[in-house]
Amino acid sequence: MTVTEVIFYFIAAATVLGAFGVVATGRVAYAALSLVFTLLAVAALYILLASEFLALVQVLLYAGGVAVLLLFALMLTRARELVPVLDGAQKPFAVVAGLSLMGVLISMVFLTTWPRRADEPTLINFNAIGDRLFRDFALPFEVASLVLLVALVGSIVLARIEEEEEE
Amino acid sequence: MGMEQAWLIPAIPAAAAGILILFGKYLPRKGDWLSVLAIGTSFVLFFFVLHDLTDALARGGEFTAVHSGREWVRIGSFNLRIGFQVDQLAAVMLAVVSFISLMVQVYSLGYMKGDKRYGWYFAVQSLFAAAMLTLVLADNFLLLYFAWEGVGLCSFLLIGHYHERRSAAEAAKKAFITTRLGDVGLLIGAILLYRSVGTFDMSTIFDAARSGQIDHAYLTAAVLLILLGAMGKSAQFPFHVWLPDAMEGPTPVSALIHAATMVVAGVYLVARTMPLFQVVDGTLVAVTAVGLITTFMSATMGLVMTDIKRVVAYSTLNSLGLMFIALGAGSVTVALLYVFTHAFFKALLFLASGSVYHATDELEVTQMGGLAKKMPVTAAVFTLGAMSMAGLVPLAGFWNKDELLLSTFENHNIFVYLAVLVSVLITALYMTRLVLLVFTGKPRNEHVYEHAREPGPAMKLPLVLLGVLTVFAGFVVFDGVGHLMGFPGGFGEFLFTHEPEAFRINAGVTASSIVLVLVGIAGGFYFWGGAAERAKAVGEAVPQVYSLLRNKFYMDDAYQWVIDRVVLVVAGVVYWYDRVIVNDTGVNGTADATRFGGFLLKFHETGLMPNYALLMTVGVVVLAVVAFIVGT
Amino acid sequence: MIRLESFLVLSAILFSLGVYGVLARRHAVLILMSVELMLNAASINMVAFAAYTSPERFTGVIFAIFIITVAAAEVGLALAIVLRLFRNRTTANVDEVHQLKW
Repeated sequence: MTVTEVIFYFIAAATVLGAFGVVATGRVAYAALSLVFTLLAVAALYILLASEFLALVQVLLYAGGVAVLLLFALMLTRARELVPVLDGAQKPFAVVAGLSLMGVLISMVFLTTWPRRADEPTLINFNAIGDRLFRDFALPFEVASLVLLVALVGSIVLARIEEEEEE
Repeated sequence: MGMEQAWLIPAIPAAAAGILILFGKYLPRKGDWLSVLAIGTSFVLFFFVLHDLTDALARGGEFTAVHSGREWVRIGSFNLRIGFQVDQLAAVMLAVVSFISLMVQVYSLGYMKGDKRYGWYFAVQSLFAAAMLTLVLADNFLLLYFAWEGVGLCSFLLIGHYHERRSAAEAAKKAFITTRLGDVGLLIGAILLYRSVGTFDMSTIFDAARSGQIDHAYLTAAVLLILLGAMGKSAQFPFHVWLPDAMEGPTPVSALIHAATMVVAGVYLVARTMPLFQVVDGTLVAVTAVGLITTFMSATMGLVMTDIKRVVAYSTLNSLGLMFIALGAGSVTVALLYVFTHAFFKALLFLASGSVYHATDELEVTQMGGLAKKMPVTAAVFTLGAMSMAGLVPLAGFWNKDELLLSTFENHNIFVYLAVLVSVLITALYMTRLVLLVFTGKPRNEHVYEHAREPGPAMKLPLVLLGVLTVFAGFVVFDGVGHLMGFPGGFGEFLFTHEPEAFRINAGVTASSIVLVLVGIAGGFYFWGGAAERAKAVGEAVPQVYSLLRNKFYMDDAYQWVIDRVVLVVAGVVYWYDRVIVNDTGVNGTADATRFGGFLLKFHETGLMPNYALLMTVGVVVLAVVAFIVGT
Repeated sequence: MIRLESFLVLSAILFSLGVYGVLARRHAVLILMSVELMLNAASINMVAFAAYTSPERFTGVIFAIFIITVAAAEVGLALAIVLRLFRNRTTANVDEVHQLKW
């Protein structure tokens, strides 16, 4: 077992643990913190996969932006009861469904023959990513910007307190 | 303009009918002039066609009917023509139909004035004439059937012209349904012939029948079915019930139906398909039997009816029965002579009784009497028509009755001959009775008497014209007269049969006919002269017979019984089946089951998104497993 | 040398946990978090495939970038929707919102 592998298993364990915390904890705040933890662990995985840029984006956007947004949402929608029940009535079925889905997915992974690679992954430098993004994926990039614009406008329209509501 | 253009004769009134139905109400006078003009043009065109025909005949040799027309539909080997043929039989019918239609329409100008549906009336009149002219000229069974139904439709519309009156609506329905029973026979007969010969073309079918190509049983069935169609249209027993009720229509319509268009269609059909009847033994006997029964029933009923138009209607039935007897004797010539002469005096009788009704608004003869003083012209022409109907020498009716007697004398057994003689006597009796009751004696109803007056010129002109023709039309039996009137070699020579029959006079037959007619007229005077005391006495002496006749042999009641107990019961079962099985169970049941199923199933929609998400996940897992199992 | 399967199994576990969270949780924001887990699982898949099958083209990395972009947009919109829901019904629990039925 090489050092890389040890590091991978360590990170993988952290990821799963964090994810488990997100879905299993009884406190909303713990769930949010677990999510941040998981996201950071995933960023570490990206570094293992030689994608520095992605790891950077993950930390900045996800762990920074998205997680903070979710925390805001939690604060703004505080539940009425003192000790809120976070899980719904169909939890047992959800356990079965989740486990069976996991079984299906993992068995698929092992039943398929995957390509193998001898050398270590080479680092993807920033220039190459920029090159590829703006040369080959220019149109999706523009569309994505449009999606963001629409989401921005939509969020404002939805969240704004309308005038008749104030009365 | 020759025989090839004969299609114009029905086409012009048909076009007029189309224009009148679509634009009639925008035309001046609601377009009545267009209708009269159209039929008048047809009548004139007829003379061109006749001229061409006589030319062709004069050239000698074997004359075959001239065909014209065009293909209408072709589906594979099935070929449908709008085909017309002109031969002698068609020419005689054309003369009758176009002339009587013209006379009736001219008369209607006066009679129908101020009617609510004046324009509509003339539109249908045109259509009626067009249909009948097509019927006469058709050279294949399908076009003939088409026109046949057209005639039925128009008679329905015209009989029901005053459809606000329930009795008129009922009468129209009765006429339509009763004739429809026969029409189905004609249609099936024509289809049977098509199946065995492969064409609707008449001359081809006749040739095939003569050469024995058609299976005998098949042919017999077809001929009897065609006879059924003819019986329905010509109001022969047992379909005769619709004709007296058809009096509910305007009187000119009655004249048209009785003299020219509707009822003679049956006679024409039998005459046209005579080659088929001659091939199959026994069918002509059936024709004779039908004619005899009709003649007997109508003649006896005519004795007791008190509605002026109904009496005339029964006399038509009487005449139609006699025409069928003539056809049964295989004598197309005599039957057509009868149609030809009968048209004039029957139209005359109806138009004259129409004048009476127009002036007095009364149809019951028990309310009339003494009208001759107030309307002498009408009385004169009516008497003329009635005496012609009775067969008095030398009016038109005499000659055809004489020829009929002669042909039955020579072609049938003595029983038929005697029966016809009896009918001659009875006809003379009740026609005399009618004239006496309406026009002579003391006025029975002052109100009616005061209103009686002569009709206007539009109505008087056809009356006088027809009156003159009633006197002279019979003379066509003499070869010379027939020749002068445009039928080369006389009427008998002109009309086609295999061996042209010349009209002959048999002294014994003629004498007995004349004597019987005179006896009948004298009997009429004896029984119904003055206050008709003796007739009443006879009626009271045999009350059962009297009520039997008054109730039309209970035929209507029998039909009503059948309709109530059989038709309506069957219809009720069918209705129940349709309502309960087809509609409630089949249609509504499916809908209700779907709706109830939907009602039950809708509760699985919880509205909770987690439930939906769970089911989606389960679905994905199941699909993955299934794909895995199937894939390996 | 880490095998590709390791990444895929990790991704599968992460995804299944996300699905479980979506199904079991009743608070809308927690459900959103679970969705984020699923998105991350998909991203890991993409990047792993990119690194192991075509490192010179790294299309999977580009995909991951787009996934992050869309996730940001989605969270923004979802936050607005949750706020509106909470303002209208004073709850953010999805099992208390079930008017959309017969």
